[in-house]
Amino acid sequence: MYDLLVVGSGPAGATTARIASERGLRVLLIDKRQELGAPIQCSGAVSGHALEEVGLSPEGEFVQEAIYGFSIYNQEGQKTTIDYRQLKPDEYGTGEGKKPLGYVVDRRRFDRYLMTLAERAGAEVWLKTEGPGLSTLPDGSCRVLLRRFNKELEVQARVLVGADGLQSQVGKWAGMRTHIKLRELASCLQFVVDGVETDGLLEIVTGHRWAPGGYAWVFPKGHGYAEIGLGVTRTMTRQNAQAHLEQFLKESFFKDRFKGLRILEIQGGGVPLAAPLRTQYADNLILVGDAARHVNPITGGGIHTALSGGKIAAHFLSELLAKGKKPSRQNLKGYQDRWLEERGNFIWKLYGEKSKIFKNKDISSRDEQLYQIMSGYFSPHSEYKKI
Amino acid sequence: MSKKEPVLFRIGWNACINCGACVAVCPQEAGFISPFDTIAVDTPCDIACMACEEICPVTTITHYLHEIDAA
Ligand SMILES: Cc1cc2nc3c(=O)[nH]c(=O)nc-3n(C[C@H](O)[C@H](O)[C@H](O)COP(=O)(O)OP(=O)(O)OC[C@H]3O[C@@H](n4cnc5c(N)ncnc54)[C@H](O)[C@@H]3O)c2cc1C
Repeated sequence: MYDLLVVGSGPAGATTARIASERGLRVLLIDKRQELGAPIQCSGAVSGHALEEVGLSPEGEFVQEAIYGFSIYNQEGQKTTIDYRQLKPDEYGTGEGKKPLGYVVDRRRFDRYLMTLAERAGAEVWLKTEGPGLSTLPDGSCRVLLRRFNKELEVQARVLVGADGLQSQVGKWAGMRTHIKLRELASCLQFVVDGVETDGLLEIVTGHRWAPGGYAWVFPKGHGYAEIGLGVTRTMTRQNAQAHLEQFLKESFFKDRFKGLRILEIQGGGVPLAAPLRTQYADNLILVGDAARHVNPITGGGIHTALSGGKIAAHFLSELLAKGKKPSRQNLKGYQDRWLEERGNFIWKLYGEKSKIFKNKDISSRDEQLYQIMSGYFSPHSEYKKI
Repeated sequence: MSKKEPVLFRIGWNACINCGACVAVCPQEAGFISPFDTIAVDTPCDIACMACEEICPVTTITHYLHEIDAA
């Protein structure tokens, strides 16, 4: 019998498994993939602070490029630049004793690295394993059906941790309604490209013309590569993300900059610009990361929140089980309460601001609001800058 | 007849990027998925909300009506 069965080895699941193992729990971590992180569905931008918070250092194994700040553009190309190399030159930069603000990571390598750390901490890891169902047992534990390389097997665990990302099924096994509303999921597409110069900044382009209900981005990707992508809210446009991306490349104020680009990789996915799930627990079950919609509803960033959600989950569960308490629905509510206190209440507040802007039907003033909130969000004085 | 007619989804696998966005917006119960991170293709969908078709970044999901055999 395992203490925890963690379904999904993304940033949320692997972090839950690593920290819970360090704290003495017996953990099985499973993932249905053969290679973690592939195919990539992420741009990989993460702050140094987010790594530090869960005890990670920026290893060459997964870092593709160091980041020092942001440029936020409006639809016409006016920009606000927040470059920490200039704002805090003693702290941020490339010289001795200075550090980057954040990183663009390779999710294939990053996710593998996080899994490795979980294994080294003592977690058992099975790849090519997925879970089609769950039943609660009379002794207060649960039994989960797994399929591993075509073999059906059953595993017993005290708590099932659903860290299965955006397409989460684990909550649904327990009858929770976890799907995301169409108007709250941004539909995204990005190209990794050669031939577009960048300068250590995450560039974010707002404006309804390029990305209705979302934004476009140009991120440095290491080796002189860049990633160019965008996300759109499909209830605000008749065109898909692919068509919008083509237009952004060919018609935007960056069209000359993009002229000679060569496409190296095509990636995409959904980014929840949504509220956290109102209930992230059931008997023997909690959800963490994208599965619980632990995402920033303004930026769509979810790596930081997945990592920190994993840490909160691991701490809570190890304390609960050490006290000999049953992982009942009632007791697991404590996990959500703690998450709300440490993270979630901030995210709810951001969601409130996002909703207010998205309710504005006047496109030009909405664009202005989005530009303002994005510019303010990344400023050194922002109350949210550490989320 | 207030209920929508059940549909079957078809996925143009050539364009599919296996991103799973279609699964994320799907209100069906657990298991309405394919082995390739998409919504199910062989099971009739009686909700027929078409959110999966809308969210697809490359618009590679289409549907056709599922003819129910008269028993
Ligand atoms: C285009 C795009 C760009 C993005 N860019 C950024 C960015 O720059 N910065 C940022 O912070 N965030 C970004 N995000 C968001 C970020 O990718 C997610 O928030 C993050 O990956 C969530 O981590 P997670 O661990 O919760 O889930 P995931 O990383 O999705 O991991 C879930 C894991 O569960 C596994 N799994 C799923 N179902 C099962 C099952 N039934 N059985 C077994 N295993 C299963 C999957 O194989 C996967 O490995 C982006 C997202 C997209 C789509």
